[in-house]
Amino acid sequence: MPQPKLLSLAEAVRRYSWDGMQYASGAALPIGSDAVVFGRELLRQKRKNLHAIFHCNSQQLNLLAGAGAATKAECGFTGLEVFGFANGLRRAVETGELVLEDYSNLAMPLRLLGGALNWPFVPATVNIGSDLQDRSAFAPDEFPAKSKIATVTDPFSGRQIGAFRPLKPDLAAIHVTLADPLGNSIMLGTEWSRFELSRAAKRVVIVADAIVDEACIRQFPNLVRIPEIVVEAVVYWPFAAWPQSSPGMYDVDEEHMRAMNAALATSEGTRDYVRTFVESYRDIDGYLDMIGGDRLALLRKTRTAFLLDPYRKWIMPAAEIASMQADAETK
Amino acid sequence: MIPTISAYTRQEMMAIATGREIRDGELAIFGVGLSMLAGFFAQAHHAPNLRAMTEGGVYGSTPVGGLPWGIECNRISTNATSFTSGLDALGCLVGSGRCDVGIIGAAQVDKYGNVNTTGIWDGEIGEAFRAPKTRLTGAGGANDIACGAKRFLIMVAHEKKRFVEQVTYISSPGYLEGGNARARYGFAGGGPSAIVTTLGVLRPDAESKEFELDGWFAFSSIEEILANTGWPLKVSAHARVVPEPTAAELAHLRKVDETGALRRQ
Repeated sequence: MPQPKLLSLAEAVRRYSWDGMQYASGAALPIGSDAVVFGRELLRQKRKNLHAIFHCNSQQLNLLAGAGAATKAECGFTGLEVFGFANGLRRAVETGELVLEDYSNLAMPLRLLGGALNWPFVPATVNIGSDLQDRSAFAPDEFPAKSKIATVTDPFSGRQIGAFRPLKPDLAAIHVTLADPLGNSIMLGTEWSRFELSRAAKRVVIVADAIVDEACIRQFPNLVRIPEIVVEAVVYWPFAAWPQSSPGMYDVDEEHMRAMNAALATSEGTRDYVRTFVESYRDIDGYLDMIGGDRLALLRKTRTAFLLDPYRKWIMPAAEIASMQADAETK
Repeated sequence: MIPTISAYTRQEMMAIATGREIRDGELAIFGVGLSMLAGFFAQAHHAPNLRAMTEGGVYGSTPVGGLPWGIECNRISTNATSFTSGLDALGCLVGSGRCDVGIIGAAQVDKYGNVNTTGIWDGEIGEAFRAPKTRLTGAGGANDIACGAKRFLIMVAHEKKRFVEQVTYISSPGYLEGGNARARYGFAGGGPSAIVTTLGVLRPDAESKEFELDGWFAFSSIEEILANTGWPLKVSAHARVVPEPTAAELAHLRKVDETGALRRQ
């Protein structure tokens, strides 16, 4: 029988991350489901020289880049959608503190799928013929670049196509709406590339807004796109994607999205932000107090709340999760 | 009511002119921001059977509560009929060649419709790659739409610094060096069919694929457009003024643009 894998956020980061690792997250879009709080904990534990694999930039990468913890990144999109340019990432790229290798939003999940299937390469019919293929930040002296998206011959048509390099990150921190204590996970809203990432990464830590009883999973097995067999640990953390949104759970915090991005534009602002919003809390209660009760109530009033209705009766209370977690951590 | 020039903004005219390019029944993909407003305007006004999607893999939905903050935002996730993934939307439905039309934005665009959204360099990049002076948002799904959609539309503010002879970095391919250059890569998609700006509409010449002025807006002029284009723009023999928004078009656009994103000047 599989055992519960509940782990505190701090312990998950201690066990599964290290300096210089290839760290993947952000397999959601820039304002949606991402394990932003995992990035805060990476900073609290002073992880550095991270090689970030983010399908899209999110406030997590924006923060890790702005604070100097990530020095390499591979992305398909590097903005914050309607919130504009990602100032922390942008500053790190412009000053040369972070080297950014550009792909597109289809290239990244294809590369993850390639890693998941253990393919030697993935045929590319996009990104070819543009500077995404010809320019490489990781191999700046190659022009046109040969080692980034290589050219291969289609054995059937004889046509020249591209070859994407598969990805197998050391660790993926994946945000989900609901997980059971074993790690079986349900995502509300688009899964973006969390399915492919969960199979490509060498290790997966699930960061869930809510923990549900296993009976919920057995009621909706078709919706469990990340099964416990690929999951190393489960972290319970409400509002884990804040200030981004989690469909069914909470809306995007527009004010904090702007304030955070404004702070990350300078190194002084980033230091202040880290002091106030990264190092200031001790536990989940302290984190929620930091956001503020009124704001939490407002964010919870999302028009998508009905999406959560079928699952509500299985959501476990915090005290029960804490006790299961204490048991699991001693094993 | 006949709207006067002051009754609508340049951005609204751009969104309506873009929406007019979308036909009923098509499979269409919209990016975040203005292109989403243009696309959902088309669906509300003249293309009720449009099959609209975002690259986020959110299908069957319309914006609720205003312009979505992102293509996965709760504002576009309250009335969806299917949530899938980026691989599905951009791969199975766009990269495959199945999608009829996409709308993308641009920081810089050139006379062959090549788009740069990656960065602004001081001068040429040179032989060795170097970081841009100003880093922009990167390719996102626009490269995949530019390669795979049967045709695509480019929406961009008409400013000289954005309309350049040749983009410094091709994030999303238009017609590359023109003519049939795209054929070298065997893209599933056909390339950009129009550049819709805050001043008018440009379309490619059938042979050379160089973009030419096809229409100017009522508040604009050929002279203003030429002065704001960074290459010697050819004016098509058929160029004419683009009809102003009708009252019905404006009403539908403003219903989609509930939070007034296009009305801020």
